[in-house]
Amino acid sequence: MEWTLVSTDHDRGVEIRLTGDLDLYNAPRFSIYVLQKIEVGWSKILLDMRGVEYLDSTGAGSLIRIAQALRKKGAKLRCRNLGGSPRRVLEMANILPLLEETR
Amino acid sequence: MGRLIVRKLIVDERNELFDAQGMRRIEFPSEFERIRDYAAEVLRDCPEAFREGNLLEQQLSEIIKNGIKHGNRCDPAKRLRVWFDFRKRVRFIVEDEGEGFADLEAWNEFYRKRQEALHAEDFDTFLAMASYRGPRSDDMDGGNSLVAALEYWNGGMIYNGVRNKVGVVRWYTGGSDQPPAPRSDRS
Repeated sequence: MEWTLVSTDHDRGVEIRLTGDLDLYNAPRFSIYVLQKIEVGWSKILLDMRGVEYLDSTGAGSLIRIAQALRKKGAKLRCRNLGGSPRRVLEMANILPLLEETR
Repeated sequence: MGRLIVRKLIVDERNELFDAQGMRRIEFPSEFERIRDYAAEVLRDCPEAFREGNLLEQQLSEIIKNGIKHGNRCDPAKRLRVWFDFRKRVRFIVEDEGEGFADLEAWNEFYRKRQEALHAEDFDTFLAMASYRGPRSDDMDGGNSLVAALEYWNGGMIYNGVRNKVGVVRWYTGGSDQPPAPRSDRS
């Protein structure tokens, strides 16, 4: 899995484009990266999930930990282009209410 | 406000989901790095109609992961056995060589409270409870696989008495039969 910073505008927030599998092998690395960034100042984050084709419970757990960290800063994790089985997994795990879906 | 739905993990040693007659069987060592390979291998002959994109592979991987990571604790000497059947529906029985899922009742209680918070739209509580932390959990565990599994395995998800073996079934719309309710009346 890879991720790319699309935008790092401090007012509008950071946009991260994800590509690949957000799974038990890759998701921990991604969440550690984002959590460290939140610790040093990121408070608005938008995840572009268009390139994510596979997401499992570890991936869902990563999104939860990021959402929890942002909640402490009064912000909500934003996502866009969430579809297919990753969306279905988050729906079945009741994680969708934690996310703000945007276009 | 929608209906409050609280499902439960059930222990039922004699449940029909443990009847392996006619099922094929495969066995794996407990290699964490190969969990998704194992799922793909089990599903090699699975009809496309049952796969739902990669959803079936994902759900089977979760069960295999639970057996290898939590059951066998990634001990390479311990084996994971998978029985599978793709006739009319998808059925699996997965057995590890661990001590069993001791936290099952605690997880049911966690799930009930989490669902109640969601139903009440109490997102602070829901978020605070969004991940389950049992005595053996680590940062990568969240109980989310079981939350999703209880919805996905629509014909039942049953543990044996030792709790080191789980039987699951998923029925599909348009199949020849309606999904039966999981048999939880025998103990």
